[in-house]
Amino acid sequence: MAMPVLATKLFIPRLRSGAVPRPRLVERLQEGLRAGRKLLLISAPAGFGKTTLLTEWIADAQRRDPLLRVGWLSLDESDNDPSRFLTYLTNALQRADPAIGAGAAVLTLPVTSFEPALTGLINDVAQRPQTIILVLDDLQVIEAPEVRDALVFLLEHLPQNLHVAVASRSDPLLPVARLRAGDELTELRAADLRFTADEAAAFLTEMVDLQLSADDIAALESRTEGWIAGLQLAALSMRERSDVSGFIHGFTGSNRFVIDYLAEEVLQRQPEQVRAFLLRTSILDRLTGPLCDAVTGEAGSSEMLASLERENLFVIALDDRRHWYRYHHLFADVLRARLRADKPDRVAELHRLASAWHEQNDLPEEAITHALAAGDSERAATVIEATVPSVRQSRQDATLLGWLKLLPDDVIRRRPVLGVYCAWSAFVSGDVEAVEPRLSDAERALAARNDDGEPTHRSAAGAELRKLPVTIAVYRAALAQAQGNVSGMKEHAGRALDLTLPDDHLGRGAAAGLLGLASWADGDLDAALRAFAEVRTSLRLAGNLADMLATTLVLADLLTPMGRLREAESAFAQGLQLASEQGEPPPQSTADLHTGISELLRERDELPAARAHLQVSEELGERASLPENRYRWFVAMARVREAEGHQHAALDLLATAERLYRRGFFPEARPIAAMRARLWITQGRLTDARAWADEHGLSAEDELTYLSEFGHITVARLLIAQHRADPHEGTIGSAIRLLDRLLAAAEAGRRTGVVLEILLLQALAEEAQGRIPAALPSLHRALTLAEPEGYLRLFADEGEPMSALLRAAAETGTRPEYVRRIGRALRTSGAGTTGPPTLPEPLSERELHVLRLLATELTGPQIARELYVSLNTLRTHSRHIFGKLDVNSRSAAVSRATQLGLI
Amino acid sequence: MNRENGDLARYEIRLRGQLEESWSDWFEGFTLTGTVDGTTVLTGPVIDQAALHGLLRRVSDLGVTLISVKALGSRHP
Repeated sequence: MAMPVLATKLFIPRLRSGAVPRPRLVERLQEGLRAGRKLLLISAPAGFGKTTLLTEWIADAQRRDPLLRVGWLSLDESDNDPSRFLTYLTNALQRADPAIGAGAAVLTLPVTSFEPALTGLINDVAQRPQTIILVLDDLQVIEAPEVRDALVFLLEHLPQNLHVAVASRSDPLLPVARLRAGDELTELRAADLRFTADEAAAFLTEMVDLQLSADDIAALESRTEGWIAGLQLAALSMRERSDVSGFIHGFTGSNRFVIDYLAEEVLQRQPEQVRAFLLRTSILDRLTGPLCDAVTGEAGSSEMLASLERENLFVIALDDRRHWYRYHHLFADVLRARLRADKPDRVAELHRLASAWHEQNDLPEEAITHALAAGDSERAATVIEATVPSVRQSRQDATLLGWLKLLPDDVIRRRPVLGVYCAWSAFVSGDVEAVEPRLSDAERALAARNDDGEPTHRSAAGAELRKLPVTIAVYRAALAQAQGNVSGMKEHAGRALDLTLPDDHLGRGAAAGLLGLASWADGDLDAALRAFAEVRTSLRLAGNLADMLATTLVLADLLTPMGRLREAESAFAQGLQLASEQGEPPPQSTADLHTGISELLRERDELPAARAHLQVSEELGERASLPENRYRWFVAMARVREAEGHQHAALDLLATAERLYRRGFFPEARPIAAMRARLWITQGRLTDARAWADEHGLSAEDELTYLSEFGHITVARLLIAQHRADPHEGTIGSAIRLLDRLLAAAEAGRRTGVVLEILLLQALAEEAQGRIPAALPSLHRALTLAEPEGYLRLFADEGEPMSALLRAAAETGTRPEYVRRIGRALRTSGAGTTGPPTLPEPLSERELHVLRLLATELTGPQIARELYVSLNTLRTHSRHIFGKLDVNSRSAAVSRATQLGLI
Repeated sequence: MNRENGDLARYEIRLRGQLEESWSDWFEGFTLTGTVDGTTVLTGPVIDQAALHGLLRRVSDLGVTLISVKALGSRHP
């Protein structure tokens, strides 16, 4: 069963005929709109006419501004599920303007990432020309912090043309005081909403069709304190009554609660048939003829509802066709209390009937809610089991979790399919401990047999049940992954693969994927590559092109450290070809494919081409990108900016990437924090880089694993840079020993791309000690390995020290053509910038001149003579230079200036 | 804590006006007592603070004026 979007929640209630116009209140809302206030809040208990006032105001505002658009959302308890809330919010805004949130991407977002989806909506709204009012009715039902946070986020980033109007029975958990202080709030409260004596008179006269004396009206107004629901009940009680003043006397003289007294009066005056109908259907949140027929066991409910609405008996139409209705909240409360007092034993049966009707009419949520209210756990469990796949698809995890919590444990234990869903629920909500017991229970339930050898579990037969053993093994593998247990992952994924049925392509794909991830985490990239080839085959056979395209990035992530850039590039080319054959809209990972190929082009120093792909990726937008891949664009752009010499921009982009990064299933082989540390090292911010290493507990003596490889190579870079800054610290020895160990590990794992980088660093470590000849063997090997794959930036990103090494290599005649191409890449990056962007205060021409001389072998007095200045003046220049470069020695200044490309 | 042990926190909620005993079930089994000064006192156990707030919301939903809420401490048998 699918999870439908209920149109009745988005329907703007029509203004009831005969409602008392309330121009003074409408004008205050209108004034709030004109003043551009962010929030228009109507906060008062039930029965004060909040919804009616909103309806009147909306009609008035649309008369004044025919272009005004309105999105209406009537909230209920289930909107505490963040995904569901976001779905309805999007739908409400789409009703206002179909151009908003046009893609369905937000509907598939998991609950953890509100901001991107909300930002998308906010941007969409901001681009619309007209004013939009978003009405949130019954906001008091919202208690979930995630939904509240989403609303606060929306208010904090509210576009000029969007106004939020809220009706709530209690003050909402929004920053009301802050908005009030900032004059960004228009609020109407119970005191404002109460009927004045004049309004009460107009209302009673209209409703009762009978001239009441001023004294009677005053007495009623005083007894009800202007409470509209009270006056309405009083009016209903007086209708067609001979002794009106007797009623008023009795009512005003009584101490009983207004609602208690009057509801009793109104109910007593209804014919028995109507009273029975009202009580029996009071359990329903939304009423429609056939549903009421089913619950009351009597025909003619549609006519009954229509007549109740005509009689103003607290029935509100929820759509234009008079198909769905609801009771006024207050009246429903009274009816329910009376039903529970009068016929407590009937309540469960009524809920069961309601549950059955909703189930037959494909409204599973209500079917489940009523089954639970009936205390019929078995029925609830049956419907939940049938619904869960679609709930999971729409990622309404909180809804599912809420239901499962209400089911007794023994009911779940008898239903292995449900038990496995529970395990999944626990897993995604982070309750890892609860997963395995659920899986074991499910396994036991699957295996249990009665004396005749029949299964004793109660799960319905079907595809879910058939695939359950595979699902269990797959979840166990995922659990092992979450616990960092690579061997457990391999074991369970292997078992899942053995158990898959021939036609279960998705199960096979999931199992192979987990096996691949296990090998990946182990650094066995060959095995991972084989597993993911299997994943791709399974996805293709399952007809799941979108996910198959997404695995292209996985292939590239595996091929790149293996140094197989050309294969990675052709994988992207094929992926993009396949994507382009799908037409509009492009498959969801198309933008990510463009981002991926840009990184390979960057490595070949084709920076304009890399930028072009990034631009296409950006233009395709978030809807053509998977949420877990969004950070990649910012990493790729940071690397391009870095190659262009703009390190500050690169750092900013990495900060954004870090914000968007979501820990998913894939190993974090290239942590963003380590990338940032590398940029710091290039900038000479060695203290910051050291702090990064300490924070992540990385040192040269650690045991090496594949997952820490990128970090440890970064540590080696840091140690070399520290040696350049201050050779006396003795860091170079640690660097060399670490690089030797890293090289052995990378070679053993056949990660040629990583081997290359380590060889370069070995050469640079020698160069840093002034031992260029000793650097050449490593460099030579690196050049030999790198040339067929077209690496350029790997070398060029190392800057001046690499230039020196390449000059030496050129002199020995090593790969002259390739060395020349790398030289060109080195020069383009230098020429791309004018002056170092990283210095807060640039060096003067004179200071640059001094700096160049400091880089020579000349002594201080010799430099002073060269410049025709006194030694004191030279010292002053040097002090300024050291200050601007943030160093305190001549050698450090030269090293820093070299990194910055100043000399 | 559980219901059977009767060691739940008990509360006394005073409302303006009088309410019939038939509403007791609606208020989750609280005892309703009318008083001579025209107020109604609800007395009973709540499982936790969330339950208490839910109860207060029901009071508010009926459009009734809340006068006081008093913790009575748990009942010892």
